[in-house]
Amino acid sequence: MFALRRWWEKNAVKAGLVFLAVGTALGIYQTNGAFVSETFRFLARPFQGNTPPEKVESPYILDLQQRVVELENQNQKLRELIDYSKNSDLDITTPAAVIGRSPDNWWQQLTLNKGAADDVKEGDFVTGPGGLVGRVVAVTPNTSRVLLISDPSSQIGAKISRSRSTGYIRGGAGSQATMQFFEKLPDAKPGDVIVTSSFSRLFPQGVPIGRIASIDSEASPAPEAVVQLSVPVSNLEWVDIHPYTPKLDVDAAPAKIVTDDNP
Amino acid sequence: MASYRSRRSGTNKQVWNWVVTIGSVFFCLLILPIRLPGMDIVGVGPNWLLIWVVAWSMYRLPWEGAIAGVVLGILHDSLSAAFPTHVIGLAITGFLTARLHQRRILQEDLISVALVVFGLAVITETAIALQLTAQYLWTEEPLYPDIGTIWQYHQRVALSSAILSSLWAPALYYPLKKWWDKYRVKDRLKD
Repeated sequence: MFALRRWWEKNAVKAGLVFLAVGTALGIYQTNGAFVSETFRFLARPFQGNTPPEKVESPYILDLQQRVVELENQNQKLRELIDYSKNSDLDITTPAAVIGRSPDNWWQQLTLNKGAADDVKEGDFVTGPGGLVGRVVAVTPNTSRVLLISDPSSQIGAKISRSRSTGYIRGGAGSQATMQFFEKLPDAKPGDVIVTSSFSRLFPQGVPIGRIASIDSEASPAPEAVVQLSVPVSNLEWVDIHPYTPKLDVDAAPAKIVTDDNP
Repeated sequence: MASYRSRRSGTNKQVWNWVVTIGSVFFCLLILPIRLPGMDIVGVGPNWLLIWVVAWSMYRLPWEGAIAGVVLGILHDSLSAAFPTHVIGLAITGFLTARLHQRRILQEDLISVALVVFGLAVITETAIALQLTAQYLWTEEPLYPDIGTIWQYHQRVALSSAILSSLWAPALYYPLKKWWDKYRVKDRLKD
């Protein structure tokens, strides 16, 4: 007991400092590093413009845009004919600037300058010029952290927009990803456009991801394709955040079947 | 009067020491998401917190180095994700640096610091790869699809991070060492 008290008298200050340091670190950890992210955003402010750059509008792009509008309208009419509910996820967007890259080498992440104050929440998905970028995994009042689709741990249900062959895509930590098909003989060829499928739980369907660069039909257990992502993930500057609520309850137990003897 | 002034300047000095120590950690956290030209090989940046832990543990006891590693590991986790944790790798770093310096295997010049940072960066990334492997082996929903992918990625991350960290190590180690030397010399003169 005496030895213990003597140790305490000698080392009380040290022990206090250790507790203080660990406690502060845990406090910052609890808030998702909000203090650090907010300071970072404040310091990064002078280095970024306030408005997204004007989109390039060449005659060719204008032509394509008009055709897309026309097709969307037709699509809408057809959907109305079959009572399909309108999917308006892509209508509301929040433009955000990329202020930081991944703070850790094992995750492919981005830090954006919009957060909870701009109604950004966890689960929202992010697109950039060309297609899907990733989804929001953490928010602080004025910043948000995005997990990129190029992260090896992100897995997205995808389909070929031409032939509707489905599979899933896994990031490859760079500008290319691997797509694995569900079928043995998928109808796919290099150049085909890949979009998210309705199997995707974390993203809405129909968002463009990239194009097939090459196909390995010998791969086991199912054919694989190398997909070139259409968004330049390594040098993004501006992105759009779209509100979305992930469908996380698809694994829930099915509803109880009501029968005559089991009402 | 004289003793009062000297005590006051001593306290001042101590406050400044804390400001510099905490400020430098904060600075490291802030430059983690930045990739300036020369801070990036295949998308991987230098591990600033590792350099800080090495600089801190140089003149301290192994347990002090390990505690610093734990604290900075928690801070790093707060900026990325809870799993895989950085605490283990950085705690090992702090402990090993202090131990190597105690045994006089590790000298204080910039070349040996760069070398030790290189080795410890590889160890830190290995600690993370081992966690991912353990998660793959023993849990239902692993982050990575197979062990091959983890270790292939580990190779890339470990090598790039080790090269960059050891090249950038002097930039952080030198000013910190200078400050702590100065602080300590003043402290010793007073006694």
